[in-house]
Amino acid sequence: MTAGTASLDQLTDWLSRFRDLVTEQQSYLTELDSAIGDADHGSNMTRGMNAVMEKIGAGGAGAVDELFKSVGMTLVTSVGGASGPLYGTFFLRIGMTAGAATALDGTALSAAMRAGLEGVVARGKAEAGDKTMFDAMAPALDAFDASLAAGDDLAAASSAAFTAAVAGRDATEPLTARKGRASYLGERSAGHLDPGATSTALLFEALAGALAKG
Amino acid sequence: MIGIVVVSHSPRLAQATVELALEMVGDNPPPIAIAAGAGDGIIGTDATKVAAAIDEISSPDGVLVFMDLGSAVLSATMALEFTSTHGEVRLSDAPFVEGIIAAVVLAAVGASLDEVEREAHGAMDAKRGQLDHSVPGGPVVVSGAGEATADERLVNPDGLHSRPAAAIVKALVGFDAKLTISDLTNGKGPVNAASLIGIMSLGAKEGDVIRISGSGAEAHAAVEALRTLAADGFGELPGS
Repeated sequence: MTAGTASLDQLTDWLSRFRDLVTEQQSYLTELDSAIGDADHGSNMTRGMNAVMEKIGAGGAGAVDELFKSVGMTLVTSVGGASGPLYGTFFLRIGMTAGAATALDGTALSAAMRAGLEGVVARGKAEAGDKTMFDAMAPALDAFDASLAAGDDLAAASSAAFTAAVAGRDATEPLTARKGRASYLGERSAGHLDPGATSTALLFEALAGALAKG
Repeated sequence: MIGIVVVSHSPRLAQATVELALEMVGDNPPPIAIAAGAGDGIIGTDATKVAAAIDEISSPDGVLVFMDLGSAVLSATMALEFTSTHGEVRLSDAPFVEGIIAAVVLAAVGASLDEVEREAHGAMDAKRGQLDHSVPGGPVVVSGAGEATADERLVNPDGLHSRPAAAIVKALVGFDAKLTISDLTNGKGPVNAASLIGIMSLGAKEGDVIRISGSGAEAHAAVEALRTLAADGFGELPGS
């Protein structure tokens, strides 16, 4: 393992940490979703990520594309809500873009996650300010790229991405939802954090943890 | 015959809707596959289930997919990436219940994917008409060589509700003619007689006089066929 790449083990650790975080925050995510949605985001994500870890915990993925294809398909079949196809697409695109590598350097990881975000946008038709996971993910990836461009290593870049995702998540609070179940509420959706943006912040917290030095 | 895929968060909602639609088609329903729920009793949708449902009933005639809301739409769009069918697959923007009923009835009489999709898309019109809200689209203009017109008083107790409307649509298949129906009593129409939703939007009741107008090579025979149906009360007269 070098400082400049994310190994298959670290990428697996990313998923494992994400599972742990959504499990810990399950009631909180569901509480957010009960305010503006159908009160299942916490349980959906926990069920999905548990299914993912069960699938990949058995090992067998020899390369990044295999790993993330398995992750994406498991989410699609086990989540049930909109986050299934959305997170599923994110991970499937990461796998397709990364290819049969066994480790990703900063540029490759960035390109893969960028393709993941584009997949999410194509699937959900979300734009900035729609009060969705996009509002946490897009700034996170921008911060990740800016940090790498400034010469930072993966640990610093992923930490910057996490910070930006949290800021993006917090910025969803005053917004009126324009996508998903929350959009049925119109202006009443303002004043609540978006559950999808909140779980996306956890995704980048998990990445930062997995790629942290030491 | 085109196939119909029903995507819902809830297996019970999907089954009940299909049941409602099948009441209208008798012995020859179109292929229908349900993809509802995610995993064990979970309310939700699963793109791989949707893809499997599409593949199960796909044919060269095509498949039209109906979704309830939210993730059902996302799962259906994602399923298009997973299917192995070479037939055409389209996602309908129709309201769930009205769209599925219109589609099942029309598909059962052999309508094309285009026709069924268009009918399903306009499936809200019947309810709009019932509520006296404006229905988009002007009257159907009929002109041509062979022309025929007949007025008939509706004798069946429930007027032109869904089953008689389906009977009319079915009866017209195969005739080389374009027919319209208007309700002279309530002043609604004319509407396309090949459109289930169009006919239902007339809100024609027992005792109303409807005008059946046709043009085309077989207009006379087609108008006569509808007259007979109406005179027989669409098989709904007590004791029939």
